Amino acid sequence: MKKSNITVIDYGMGNLWSVLSALRYLGCDPAISSHPDEIVSADSLLLPGVGSFRKARHALQQQGLDQAIVEAVQIKGSKILGICLGMQLMGISSSEDGDAVGLGLIPSTVDKLTPQKISTNKIPHIGFDQVHSQLGACLFKGLQSDAEFYFVHSYRMLPAGLSGKSAICNYGEKFLAAYEQDNIFATQFHPEKSQTNGLILLKNFLAQ
Amino acid sequence: MLKKRLIFTLLYNDGNFMLSRNFRLQKVGSLEWLQSNYNFSHISYSIDELIVLDVTRGERKPDEFCAVLKQLTEGCFVPIAAGGGVRTIEAARNLLRSGADKVVVNSSLYEDNGFIGQLASEFGQQCVVASIDFQAVPDGSYQVWSECGVQCLDGTAEKWVEQVLQENVGELYLNSMDRDGTGQGYDFGLLDLLPGNISKPIILAGGVGNATHLAAGLADPRVDAVATAHLFNFVGDGLKQARQALISSGVELPLWDIELLEQHLGAEQVGN
Repeated sequence: MKKSNITVIDYGMGNLWSVLSALRYLGCDPAISSHPDEIVSADSLLLPGVGSFRKARHALQQQGLDQAIVEAVQIKGSKILGICLGMQLMGISSSEDGDAVGLGLIPSTVDKLTPQKISTNKIPHIGFDQVHSQLGACLFKGLQSDAEFYFVHSYRMLPAGLSGKSAICNYGEKFLAAYEQDNIFATQFHPEKSQTNGLILLKNFLAQ
Repeated sequence: MLKKRLIFTLLYNDGNFMLSRNFRLQKVGSLEWLQSNYNFSHISYSIDELIVLDVTRGERKPDEFCAVLKQLTEGCFVPIAAGGGVRTIEAARNLLRSGADKVVVNSSLYEDNGFIGQLASEFGQQCVVASIDFQAVPDGSYQVWSECGVQCLDGTAEKWVEQVLQENVGELYLNSMDRDGTGQGYDFGLLDLLPGNISKPIILAGGVGNATHLAAGLADPRVDAVATAHLFNFVGDGLKQARQALISSGVELPLWDIELLEQHLGAEQVGN
């Protein structure tokens, strides 16, 4: 496989090692960066994330990474994959821990999961769950249309009003499990933790 | 539909992996022993999650533990929770930077100093796994112990469970000290200590001897995940066989298609 020039954004919040380990397994030699200049000049970005939205947003802002990401993606056209909190950070805003503004790359807001049957649907949503991908979604190429991926989250985006390709998970409500539009890709689940399915999805992203 | 989880728990003590029986530790082997008998890059297709706990009696060496965690988790694409003596945000962050996705806390749950809240506010509630150690007492009730089973806490187990649930934790790991390492099966009495309206995922641990015990745990609707820490019961392809037995008996576990991955990456790469 060709070496991909992928830069993993390090803002002190991600499960960095897991992501790097998966990329290396796929034959990549990922760079890790917390420098705005390097991020602006990267062709391919990965925004991981484990943590709370507000803290993560603050960390990105403090290091000037928020503007660098937006510039790389919206002006330079670099592709980006946001994972879990990384996906949420790409939204317009989040109501976690008081309202905070996101990067605005995905026109949707992040709110707490509100499953209708609270007794059977526990929060956080933790474990492998089925993801129903839209036909033709690049990330899911070669995977079953109801492939399983690992989720661990309490907040989510909803698919309403989005014009890109969505993948949906039904956990008492239908939320946005993955999204792609042009050079913007995001997964609420953790592909780096989703065994064979996750590795195939990451490979699909790298091949874009 | 959300699948149930099969979790393997590894106990680490000052450079070695251990077998625990009623919380008394017996050395099994180093990371090299573990890798040669379990090969995590392979068995990770047989489990849904890995928990690695530093239960070192005496002074822990967090940097060494993190280094082992990194080696262990390379090529292991399942969720990983790690813990043991975590009392600072920095310690939690180091685990998360060494391959962990979640942090397991135990003794610090009872210290009432706001740490659990800080941890959740820093990394999110979903990142915090609350591990509680229970011991049955002859009258049929339970006591809660902290500090790797050294310190018995005053008050009923129900009270402590309730207090832990008020903290901002993501899931509960209920461990039976009496069953630990005995192979007699889970203590389902632990589940009766939970309030009826529990809204957090429950991991049941302590006592598994075979796949039937795992199936019994997963059959309880209150249980979201079952864990075993017995290094000898599942040595070699034991976990793979246990998983196959569970799936054949109708347990809803996620299915992994290794052939599909081979088609995408080439068999040679997957085999390594």
